[in-house]
Amino acid sequence: MISATAIVDTHALLELVYVSLIAGVGICAVYAVAVLGVTRSSEHRRADRRAAAALYAALATIAVAGCCWAIVTGIVIMAKK
Amino acid sequence: MHSDLLIILVVATALAFDFTNGFHDTANVVATSISTRALSPRVAVTLAAILNFAGAFISLKVAATIGTGIVNAGAITMPIVFAGLIGASTWNLATWYFGLPSSSSHALIGGVVGAMIAANGTAAVQFGGLLGKVVIPAFVSPLLAFVVAGLGIVLTYRLVARLRPGPAGRGFRYGQIFSGGMLALAHGTNDAQKTMGVITLALIAHGDIARNHFAVPDWVVISAASAIALGTYVGGWRIIRTMGTRIIKMDPAQGFTAQTAGAAVVLAASHVGFPLSTTHVMAGGVMGAGAGKRVSAVRWGVASNMAIAWLLTLPAAAAVGATTYGATSLFGSGFLGPAIIATIAIIALIIAMTKRSRELAARPAGANS
Repeated sequence: MISATAIVDTHALLELVYVSLIAGVGICAVYAVAVLGVTRSSEHRRADRRAAAALYAALATIAVAGCCWAIVTGIVIMAKK
Repeated sequence: MHSDLLIILVVATALAFDFTNGFHDTANVVATSISTRALSPRVAVTLAAILNFAGAFISLKVAATIGTGIVNAGAITMPIVFAGLIGASTWNLATWYFGLPSSSSHALIGGVVGAMIAANGTAAVQFGGLLGKVVIPAFVSPLLAFVVAGLGIVLTYRLVARLRPGPAGRGFRYGQIFSGGMLALAHGTNDAQKTMGVITLALIAHGDIARNHFAVPDWVVISAASAIALGTYVGGWRIIRTMGTRIIKMDPAQGFTAQTAGAAVVLAASHVGFPLSTTHVMAGGVMGAGAGKRVSAVRWGVASNMAIAWLLTLPAAAAVGATTYGATSLFGSGFLGPAIIATIAIIALIIAMTKRSRELAARPAGANS
């Protein structure tokens, strides 16, 4: 009788689950922050509130950089192994 | 001489399958970008083809799983690989004919397993590997994509809730250029490797590669990448309609979330060597993004038709693979059997495509399916 744990590569399956959750949900959330930052920055700029506009633009830049970092890191890890 | 002709036929059939895989799966990659108007159909398909090509070079773990983890590589012969490919291609074309987005990957695995059982019995199949690396991930992955997309869209809507829909939508349309690109890359990575694995199995059977040293030659990687990219470019317009609009109507945020969830799951699976179905994953992502907004937005009837097609894929492709192996072995173990079957398959394909194009031409303009 073969046990279920011998058949299923539990480690690989768990890795699939947590990597997908962190990467998928994380990138969606961070990109939504980028959209929020860009949109709010544009609204504040039109209303001539420069400090708020700059703050939201910085938030958007950090969020976009975060998304790019996540994507590049993911590809590099895959290509290395 | 016959052996050399046979390996050429098997490699050509494998590349033809890879082409149909790209053709069949284009919808998974581009449907959401097209349905939300993030990209025009031609641009979306071109981008997908380029990134499918690039994706095939990222990893070889899935190819190793196909080559070493599902059937006994020591028992493989070229007629078995050929019969498996015909089984998979037949199922792929049948589902294309009826507009059902079933899994090319599971068709390929089913076809090879069926042909192997017909040739050597069940002992030559690694059922542990089949269950642990194909069947269980096949059940887990669409659910995972559903959950990731569902959580992703709920978080996204919370973050952008107070924004005006116009600018926010534009932001997510831009995002879809990247999420669609990542999905195409993921598709190339996971799906092209399956064909690489099968061609490598045939090369092992032909004696070009040692049975105990699985390694994918560079020319196999390049040719598989080219075939899937070409197939993606030619595209599957019928299936695009099913994936893009018939499951749910999507807004750009949902399209972005579904694609990001799909890309994350497929890339993570490629990393650990699971040969996933991009179709299953993407449909899970699309439904998750729909259900995260409103459960009733998902057309569950269409989704259940797709689920039935998926459940049938492994056994149906296995049955066609086994039957094809039986038919080829009637003509001996040489080149003649596969050559006759290949000729019959090409004639059947031409008849099916002609009939289909006549049916489409006879349909009134604007009819969808």
